[in-house]
Amino acid sequence: MKKIIALLVLCFTVGSCEKDDICSETTETTPKIHIAFYDITLPSENTPKNVNRLRVTGVGDSDPGVVSSYDGSKAQKEVYLPLKTTENSTQFILHKGYKIDENDTVLGNPDTITISYVRKEVYVSRACGYKTIFENVVISVEDDGNKWIQLAQSVNDNQTVEHEDDIHYKIYH
Amino acid sequence: MPYSFFCTIGHAQNDSIVSTKTDSLKYKESYGLRLGGDLGKLIRSFIDDEYKGFEINADYRLTKKWYVAGEIGVEEKDTDNDYLNATTQGSYFKAGVDYNAYENWYGMENMIYGGFRVGASTFSQTLNSYGVYAQDQYWSPQLTSNESQKFSGLSALWGEFIVGLKVEVLNNLYLGLNAQFKYLISQDQPDNFENLYIPGFQKTYDSGGFGFGYGYSISYLIPFYKKNK
Repeated sequence: MKKIIALLVLCFTVGSCEKDDICSETTETTPKIHIAFYDITLPSENTPKNVNRLRVTGVGDSDPGVVSSYDGSKAQKEVYLPLKTTENSTQFILHKGYKIDENDTVLGNPDTITISYVRKEVYVSRACGYKTIFENVVISVEDDGNKWIQLAQSVNDNQTVEHEDDIHYKIYH
Repeated sequence: MPYSFFCTIGHAQNDSIVSTKTDSLKYKESYGLRLGGDLGKLIRSFIDDEYKGFEINADYRLTKKWYVAGEIGVEEKDTDNDYLNATTQGSYFKAGVDYNAYENWYGMENMIYGGFRVGASTFSQTLNSYGVYAQDQYWSPQLTSNESQKFSGLSALWGEFIVGLKVEVLNNLYLGLNAQFKYLISQDQPDNFENLYIPGFQKTYDSGGFGFGYGYSISYLIPFYKKNK
């Protein structure tokens, strides 16, 4: 009898303690776009080529500032850029060779890219809610007369951004 | 006429003597239909803003140890966290058997029981609002949607083990409590969403088909006949 009561009490405890579900970091949620850099001299061979001192900033109403880890201090062979989940396009300035000299002049070559896409919300879990995946992703480069980006090409037709591990776009320079 | 009158009296006397003797030797247990409701769900409906529910339960005694038992109920439950707000609404029924493992003392008719149920529910789920989760918060806030989406005609089927007690507190009036351990057999999932709660089954878990429940019941036994113990 005592054992049965103990079992009952245990069951009640288990049943009423609903653990707070926390969205784990290993869960695949809204992806960033994965862009890799290649050498324009051999576009058919896809030879990786780093972009020196690459600084990336988003273009927004209130200046969102520099995208962390791309602050212009290092060369990058690829970038992961977050996309707006509230709008159908996101703009970034990719600033190559970023440097401020002793006269406070900003050196290097900034190019503005516009990433346009169709958003789709996909259910993840009760803790994470939904994620946005991006379809028909197209990158266009603003012509400022001095582009360091020679060619931006998607990996697939109707490029989808769903898994960050996959390369979605190739930039040749 | 006088003869037959005498005879009847004689018989009546004999009967009463025999039955008195039997009663003093053997206690008769009640057999019948026990009907009741879930007090816990009723109270929770008043104190929990996110819950409304009621359950009617019944059991019918088949033998000394075995009962057929079942529950029927309705539930409405809100699930609310940082990224989701949803309402589940529907009804369910459960049917199965209970086995009374308790050896009652003389004159008592209590139960400590274990049993099994098959449960089924039909319900709808409404996604009231949701948010998009992004680990990177460079562009924030992320998208939130308040466009309500209703998924109707959902159903689920499950099995459950139940353990509990029923104690006779007044003549034929019982108070009970029980715990249920459930396993989901099948369910219809809404498109691009999931069943966060199933009426009768209660909360679903990401880790698999397991579920838990409990009940506090009050019930009344309508005795149909008495049988020797």
